[in-house]
Amino acid sequence: MVNGGWVCLISPLVGFLAIMLAGTRITRRQAGIISTVSVFVGFAGAVVAFIDAWRRSPDDRTELTTAWTWLQAGQFKVGLELLVDPLSIVMMLVVTGIGGLIVLYSNGYMAGEDEERRYFAYMAFFVFSMLLLAESGNLLLLLAGWGLVGLASYLLIGFHHERPSAVAAAKKAFVMNAIGDAVMALAFFLTISHIGSLEYGTVFAAVDDGRLSDTVVTLLALGLLGGAVAKSAQIPLHTWLPDAMEGPTPVSALIHAATMVTAGVYLICRTHPVFEGAPDVQHLAALLGLATLLVAGVIALVQWDIKRVIAYSTMSQIGYMFLGAGIGAYGFAMFHLVTHAFFKALLFLAAGLVIHRLDGEQDIRKMGGLRRSMPYTHATFLIGSLALVGIPIFAGFWSKDAILASALAYGGGLGWVLYVGGLLGALLTGLYSFRLYYLVFHGEPAAEGHEAEHHGEGDRSMLVPVGVLAVGSTIVGFLAIPGVWEPFETWLEPVVEPLVTPSTTQEWATSAVAVALGVLGILLARRAFRAGRELVPDGAVRTTLEHKLWFDELYDALFERPGRAVAALLRDRVETPIVQGGLDEVAGETMRGATLTASVQSGLLRTYALAFTVAVGVLTLVFLVVR
Amino acid sequence: MLTTLLIVVPLAGAILTWMLPLSRESTAGFALLVALAEVGLWLGSARNFDFGSDAQQYSANREWFDQLGISYAVGLYGFQYWLVGLAVVVGACAVGYGAWVGRENARAYFGLLLFLVGALVGVFAAQDLIVFYVFFEAMLIPIYVLVGVWGGPQRLKATVTFVIYTMVGSLLMLASIIAFGISQGTFLLSEIGTSSNDWIFLGFLAAFAVKAPLFPFHGWLRLAYTEAPPEVGAILSGVVSKAAVFGLVWIVLPHFPEPVEDFRTLVLALAAGTLAYGSILAFRQPDIRGVVAYSSMAQMGLIVLGIFAVNDLGLDGAVLHSVNHGLVSAGFFLLAGMIETRTGTGRFSELGGMAKGRPVLATLVLTLGMFTLAVPGSTNFAGEFAILSGVFDRGWGYAAVGAAAMVLAALYALRMISAILHERRGAAVREDAGDLVGNELMLLVPLVAILAVLTAWPAGITDRSFPADGGAAFIASQEGVSTP
Repeated sequence: MVNGGWVCLISPLVGFLAIMLAGTRITRRQAGIISTVSVFVGFAGAVVAFIDAWRRSPDDRTELTTAWTWLQAGQFKVGLELLVDPLSIVMMLVVTGIGGLIVLYSNGYMAGEDEERRYFAYMAFFVFSMLLLAESGNLLLLLAGWGLVGLASYLLIGFHHERPSAVAAAKKAFVMNAIGDAVMALAFFLTISHIGSLEYGTVFAAVDDGRLSDTVVTLLALGLLGGAVAKSAQIPLHTWLPDAMEGPTPVSALIHAATMVTAGVYLICRTHPVFEGAPDVQHLAALLGLATLLVAGVIALVQWDIKRVIAYSTMSQIGYMFLGAGIGAYGFAMFHLVTHAFFKALLFLAAGLVIHRLDGEQDIRKMGGLRRSMPYTHATFLIGSLALVGIPIFAGFWSKDAILASALAYGGGLGWVLYVGGLLGALLTGLYSFRLYYLVFHGEPAAEGHEAEHHGEGDRSMLVPVGVLAVGSTIVGFLAIPGVWEPFETWLEPVVEPLVTPSTTQEWATSAVAVALGVLGILLARRAFRAGRELVPDGAVRTTLEHKLWFDELYDALFERPGRAVAALLRDRVETPIVQGGLDEVAGETMRGATLTASVQSGLLRTYALAFTVAVGVLTLVFLVVR
Repeated sequence: MLTTLLIVVPLAGAILTWMLPLSRESTAGFALLVALAEVGLWLGSARNFDFGSDAQQYSANREWFDQLGISYAVGLYGFQYWLVGLAVVVGACAVGYGAWVGRENARAYFGLLLFLVGALVGVFAAQDLIVFYVFFEAMLIPIYVLVGVWGGPQRLKATVTFVIYTMVGSLLMLASIIAFGISQGTFLLSEIGTSSNDWIFLGFLAAFAVKAPLFPFHGWLRLAYTEAPPEVGAILSGVVSKAAVFGLVWIVLPHFPEPVEDFRTLVLALAAGTLAYGSILAFRQPDIRGVVAYSSMAQMGLIVLGIFAVNDLGLDGAVLHSVNHGLVSAGFFLLAGMIETRTGTGRFSELGGMAKGRPVLATLVLTLGMFTLAVPGSTNFAGEFAILSGVFDRGWGYAAVGAAAMVLAALYALRMISAILHERRGAAVREDAGDLVGNELMLLVPLVAILAVLTAWPAGITDRSFPADGGAAFIASQEGVSTP
């Protein structure tokens, strides 16, 4: 089990280092192959770990090993620890499996790009970092992985570094995530000062037996939530994700849809004892999830960039996962993470096929009618959309409805708010995803559309992963059929026992409502499209949505401008006039008297030496006498 | 014996460099050879170094001025071993850089560089206050000359400013040393015991606050770092500032336990202020060296936070971070020099777009930039994390400032990276300005490689900084004979 875990972790790192060190000695194509192979070898390792664990009894599926002591100071000690258990195995499979497909797809998509080698090195580095995050056996190493995926994300968003918008987006993503990292680190300092350890086991035990007071647990949970919210682009730290679409499309698929952005959900599930020790914070997670899923859903209604629509949909879907994790439906939250990884990667990669064919065009107003010229893309995109909306048999149907049913089963005021809000989200999902679908694939080709005739739908290395993901998006949902076959939940139960389990009736009833709302959304989107109307008419509402509820402007006014002003103030009012300025006069005086060499001759230096000696003598006496 | 050798080799090398009538190339080659031999010597001394022991390693103790209680005493504990290592490694890179650039008046120049390295090793290995003072002053002289003669256009002003500040610091420190030594009857650190004299404590503190520097004693910093030749700037920011670390850890903490207790809040507040102030100002600097200068200042504030936490996490973190910061800022100074030779400027307004077609340069700027902002997982992060979790015990506010500084570091480091590498080609960047060449890589790659090794294993240093009982216990055990 652990061996599989190690192979899984190390292989992409080796791939990354190999490409970086080889430099121009390998061709671009070879770099792509090395990267792809290294990730798939990682997948093989994950599969080995999975099979190994599967064979064991459910209580015996956790293994923790330490390679060496990473950081030690006095009693505090953190090892380079690997934790392989059902939860991390799920993440390993998703990250390397979906990751491998996306890297494979990149071979075709990125062909002909400048600096392709760098791209493939970064992709492998990302996969390594993500695995470090998922497999780490303590909170500090988790934070290390947490930061490194942020770094990979920065590097890949800013891949087209000559484009100012890409550079700005990369910086924004990094800084937002640095805020999350800092908040998390602060919570860890607190934890260390109380129990001197960041081991999962020690921390959870201290939560249970009360060694960590309620206040401390609440603060720790808040710190973790801060990190999770930043990484998973939930309100209020969400504004970086839409901008992150500046990165190449496969990057959006891998990092900003399938894996990294869902890390927050993994974090909550991994540290669930802490959140359970601070129920208010856990509920806050659920409410933030709800807010995000609704806000992102409505903003998605007015976006014109194909990738931004999907990005908002990602935020919205992660909102569902937060909602689930926030009420203790960990298994379903993780299940939605898995199904979402399939269908959202599918949507992005299919969108990538469209963008690729249209020579980089991303504006959906300039698309249309692609159904006929791109039948394969059309079919797969449709599958992805259906899965996203949660139409039966497709993956999203099983996972999203399970979360909503859990909210129903949770009950109380909070449960109902989450339930109703979540259902409303289902309607929104139908609306925005099929607005997108119709605009891109139906109707007549837009006049300005410059469909490139030379390439077909794409290279085989691109079409195969899309096909695999389409199949996955269709069938992966069957891993959790309420009341019939629920292997996914059973698998996770030994590590993350849910706080709430909906009855089979609740699940099917919820599904009926949710599907009806989803279909209603689709039908409304279709009617609007047929009539050539937009879903949100012009006016104040639309303007507000187009400005993404003014979050960017708000943060600019609240933080960026005052920050710059303070920095300028310190520089111009303190540093320059006082710290440097006062000295300028003294230095100027000295230099006016004589240059340094001349001063030696004129005896000035001797005077200084004498003064120095006298001063030392006086001071010494003072020190000795004044006690 | 070995410690003495570590001090003598570069000093003797310096004298030989001055005396031998070699050509410019041969002088540079000879100096480089000496610097590398010194690195080899340092590496070799690790073999028999017992890091867990609370006995001084490779110590030498000979009476010097018997009547005055002054002895030539040097020796190493773990944390000193790492500081010495930092000095010799960065020293070798600096000599290498000077050789690559081909400095004028090679004999004087390389002699001074080697002399500086020897004096630094002496500072870090000192076990007697007078020995410490002698090396401390000896280290300043070559800096004055190196900056004053080989520096940039404003070198004279930079030197004068630097001299004034260090003079005041030295003056206070010397008075403190004499007063402390006379009252205790010895200058030997292992015997001098403790003092509760606030004035003596403050004298030391002021000297080290200038050296680090801490806000508001940093008036010399900007000019000195900008006007110095890059390789001298590398030593200045990377290594010389660590004399303050040594002084605080090995003179102030063990021998002034009461004043440390009494003034802790003041020092921690100054250190936190330095961290915040440096980070904020780094964000508004117009050129590479300005950012590195203020970022260095911020990092020194962080290190002092760790030291004055006076617990295992803080102390170990401070030693680790001293090495981290030394390597990173030295690397960035050399890198700044390499960029300046290509473009003639370090100003961001005239730079940009250098990543295109210069993959090696881009990779190094990015890598060192990421170490600068202490990306989680890096050794800089490990140091920062240890320091801040250590100082958390003294008040959560310090750790909160530290956490905020993590975000600020991301802001200024990313701004610098982009300003050099990204977007449109800057006015000063000629299309044919080349990528880094082999010689330059040989200077930078070792620094990055050490950082990479430390990233995989920061415990390599933290676990070997102080004897097995941990830093706090070790410092407390140094109080020795206590006198009223």
